[in-house]
Amino acid sequence: MLNRRNLVTYSIAFLFILALNFLMPRMMPGDPLSAIYGDEVLVAMAPEFKAHLVESFALDEPMWRQFGAYILALFQGDMGYSYYYNASVFSVIIGSLPWTLLVVGSSLVLSTLIGIALGIESGWRRGSRTDRTMLAGLMSLNGFPDFFLGLVLLLVFGVLMGIFPLAGALTPYSGLSGFSLVVDVMKHMALPVTALTLAHLAGVYLLTRNTMITVLKAPFMLTARAKGLSQRRLKYHHAGRNSMLPVLTVTGIWLGRLVTGALFVELVFAYPGVGYLTYQALLTRDYPLIQGIFLIVAIAVLIANFAVDLLYPKLDPRVSYAH
Amino acid sequence: MTHFRLDVSRVAIIILAISLLVLPACSPGEAQDSSQMDSYTIADATGDWGYPSPYLRYSRGPGYTRMQFIFETLVWKSATDFVPQLAEEWEYDERENAYTFKLRDDVTWHDGEKFTAEDVVFTVDYIKNHPDPFVTLIGPSGIKEAVASDDYTVKLYLEQSYAPFLNDIAGTMVIIPKHIWEGVDDPKSLTGPEAVIGTGPYTLADYSKEHGTYLYQAYDNYYLGEPVVKEIKFVRISEEMIPAALEKGSVNAGDIPPEVVAEMEANGLTVITAPVAWNAKLTINHQKEPLSDKGFRQALACAIDREALVQITQRGHAIAGSPGMVPPTSGWYNPDTPQYEYDPAKSRQLLEELGYRLEDDYFTRDGQQLELELIAAADYKEIGQFIKQQLEQLGIKVDFQTLEAKAVDARVEAWDFDLSIYGHGGLYEPSILKRVIVDEGFNSARYTSNEELNHLLEGQLSEMDPEKRKDLVFQIQEVYAEDLPALTLYYPKWYWAHDGKVNLYYTRDGIASGVPIPLNRMSFVK
Amino acid sequence: MHISLKKEIERSNAGRVGLSLLLLVIAAAVLAPLLSSYDPGQQSVGSLLSPSGSHWLGTNHVGQDIWSQLLYGARTSLMVGFGVGIISLLLGILFGVSAALIGGLYDKIVMRVVDAFIVIPMVVVVILVAAYIKPDLPVLILLLAALSWQGGARVIRAQTLSLKESGHINASRMFGAGRFYVAWRHVLPDIVTILLVEFIYGVRRAVFMEAGLAFLGIGDPMLVSWGMMMRDAMSFSYLDVWQWWLVPAGVALSLTIIGLTFVSHAAEAALDPRLRGAEVA
Repeated sequence: MLNRRNLVTYSIAFLFILALNFLMPRMMPGDPLSAIYGDEVLVAMAPEFKAHLVESFALDEPMWRQFGAYILALFQGDMGYSYYYNASVFSVIIGSLPWTLLVVGSSLVLSTLIGIALGIESGWRRGSRTDRTMLAGLMSLNGFPDFFLGLVLLLVFGVLMGIFPLAGALTPYSGLSGFSLVVDVMKHMALPVTALTLAHLAGVYLLTRNTMITVLKAPFMLTARAKGLSQRRLKYHHAGRNSMLPVLTVTGIWLGRLVTGALFVELVFAYPGVGYLTYQALLTRDYPLIQGIFLIVAIAVLIANFAVDLLYPKLDPRVSYAH
Repeated sequence: MTHFRLDVSRVAIIILAISLLVLPACSPGEAQDSSQMDSYTIADATGDWGYPSPYLRYSRGPGYTRMQFIFETLVWKSATDFVPQLAEEWEYDERENAYTFKLRDDVTWHDGEKFTAEDVVFTVDYIKNHPDPFVTLIGPSGIKEAVASDDYTVKLYLEQSYAPFLNDIAGTMVIIPKHIWEGVDDPKSLTGPEAVIGTGPYTLADYSKEHGTYLYQAYDNYYLGEPVVKEIKFVRISEEMIPAALEKGSVNAGDIPPEVVAEMEANGLTVITAPVAWNAKLTINHQKEPLSDKGFRQALACAIDREALVQITQRGHAIAGSPGMVPPTSGWYNPDTPQYEYDPAKSRQLLEELGYRLEDDYFTRDGQQLELELIAAADYKEIGQFIKQQLEQLGIKVDFQTLEAKAVDARVEAWDFDLSIYGHGGLYEPSILKRVIVDEGFNSARYTSNEELNHLLEGQLSEMDPEKRKDLVFQIQEVYAEDLPALTLYYPKWYWAHDGKVNLYYTRDGIASGVPIPLNRMSFVK
Repeated sequence: MHISLKKEIERSNAGRVGLSLLLLVIAAAVLAPLLSSYDPGQQSVGSLLSPSGSHWLGTNHVGQDIWSQLLYGARTSLMVGFGVGIISLLLGILFGVSAALIGGLYDKIVMRVVDAFIVIPMVVVVILVAAYIKPDLPVLILLLAALSWQGGARVIRAQTLSLKESGHINASRMFGAGRFYVAWRHVLPDIVTILLVEFIYGVRRAVFMEAGLAFLGIGDPMLVSWGMMMRDAMSFSYLDVWQWWLVPAGVALSLTIIGLTFVSHAAEAALDPRLRGAEVA
């Protein structure tokens, strides 16, 4: 639920992110401008532009003034300039963001749906052969890191069998449009989404299963059984519904994990999302871009958690009564 | 709350339905209009090299390569020679130290305006005020003045006699349209379609930074006739996947790792080898004891088996380094350059002459054990490990550290190192020798204490007679190899594979000032 | 709540499988010099060789024996895993127990900070820091620990709180026992089982993180690591070599994580009475 406690938490997290972003380049030995832009870039920079940067970053002023300038710039939407890409950091990130959202969103939906479905079935049949197999199977699946899964999928289905494309989000300049374009995009995202979904699935499944087991023992279930309700109604309408809630609350936190997973998977498939961008930025030490990505990703995760907190009371009526 | 029907079976059906949608379209070898002249696709691992205009492209070889389809130079090169481009003929006047270029009169810019000598004069002035990373028009390579005597004749007066002028300046400087760039104070502010109006055989139809793709369309009014291919596409494919893409036929050309050369040829693809362009070097801090001693550096050279280095760290796909820096495959190579064959006994002898004695497997002098620090970026970790092994086998303790590339550069710049590993290209033109031996910067040896060497390096830059210049370069190699301020370790071999639909070749001495990529725009023109 | 965790784990199937896997990995790490005949860092001319009698998993791109690298890689994973796990745990205990026992404003502040860190994705922070500082082993361990103790702290605090209400602690406090004494003599022994579970979680997360970061190229390149092996192998995926270079490293990593997962599952089940009883795995 969203309340003062959580607001404080989010504020602290937000401040921490800002502070880290602000402090890192300034804690490095040497000129913070070179820590922010990199020496190679500075050498090529015109002196007037350099002076302009020093002024806008307030680098010749005390630390707290600098922080103020930094915050001010952020609120004006100025996240810095990526010298490597020759464009504003914001525009570079915005270009890649939709692809990451596509892959992460699809994986989130798929893994949640499948995980909950499997978890409910497993919890309902607890102790049976089905349950035990699923449990062992999914727990093992959980142990495979997403980048390994991605690589194996790519090598087997992409290279060896040639069924799926080897890289990118779509076939460039193919002249496709409409339905065939959609199919092209889906073919390119099939493997990355599969890898991410498989990696994330077990977490959802385990949580749902555990909750289901707990819920099944609850008094209200006994009442429902006594009332003579059908198995199906018991399983889904009563037990299942309640088992889904914990998953939804944890989704916010798991989003962080999905974002991490997306980073690895995008790298393996050269998928042009924010994760791939991060890796490129790290390779070229494009500091303004790295910082911009850090800021946007961390804040996006915060906002997602925030949204889940807002939604929770709507899903679980018990909560709003308690307040 | 509504009724959820979360049967496993239902979920399965949904997934099945989705896959059925996708699979039918998954047939390999797709419908792509593969008429020979329609389109040509080139694979590149990095993808994005900047907007292909003179001031927005990234200042690396591939960035220039993307730009040269759109913009042209006065003079160009084929696989073997200088060829006319915007200039039909040219002449060098030694007395005046000036080049006169007679320009073509049938060239149009992509927007229809005519190209004239005014554009050339304007370009020279503009670059002097707004430096270009590849073309420096101030200083020894500079142009004092550009004068247009009529619409199609321009005379360039040089600052001083500069041997590589034709290659590095006239053959590299792209001419920009005066009617567009006049009055543009900040060249980087021109980001729209007007920034890619050139005279070349192709126009830019699309560029995507995040996908790393380029689409070029043939310019049908090109003065040499309609280009051979209607569309050229650059797509981003990771290095490991390029061979598979070539085999599948989804791209026509791309660079390939050496291990698949045989496989590519077996599949009917043509593989071409780049003339050596790049070398990896052991940078030595010759300002610091004991490395300041020539004999010590020579001992190091004899202790590092460069042949074995190539076999182990490059899996045989490189040429062992010549201590004279110029590669053995180059026309400038001096076969009498001292080679410092692998000879650990000789190394030991040299070290002993300097007062070192072997004690418990390691050399010591005055009670101090000989220890050197080797720093390098993580990319060179295998080479660093090899060198460490070799030197320790000899009896010199080595502390090998990998650092951030920028951290390495910073320390080398500040002379805060013993040994370092570094690589650079530009080996086609001897002008590189001066830049990496005596000039300032972390990528140079900054070795200025040998007067004779300095003299030779200055001399070759301004010697306009090719025979005399070659002689000077020969001498440079001998003197440089004798003093050894840095040791060239190896020259990697680079390969490209293509399906033969367009005749790709490596331009003589690289495209423009030395870009070792086989994508000369002339391959795409009849 | 005095369950013998050890017995519970050994009793369950999952626990047994998990423990066996872990023991396998630990054995590989410890016995590496005995089980391999090459120095993992030793370069040689025979590069990218297929598996053979002398090189059980072939060689990598600079002729190093892959089997040796696999074994020594276990050391890196376990070192980082346990290092981060222990430091994380200690920090978790420190803040979790103290927050619960001291309460008040201190508790509120600590918990807000803990929650804040839980929300932030760890990898992104590490990438940011790694862009500026070269993370060699000690720095990496400290950094990872600093970003992962929060989850455990929360759980430990919850446990301590529930204990706080229990009789013997109250009695102890009434008899004048100081906070530290209470923590040491009364709280810790009772939460040992949960500490163990948190520890295993921590190790598992750290093993995954180290491999993932090495895969991205962050970490000490001179250290043999499964993540680094996978990264190097990936750049040769156009050859067949990935089958005996990439796959073994990935499988080794996965088995280690699976082992830890199974053990923690068994331990968790042991702790949660609702999940005990008709225990399945």
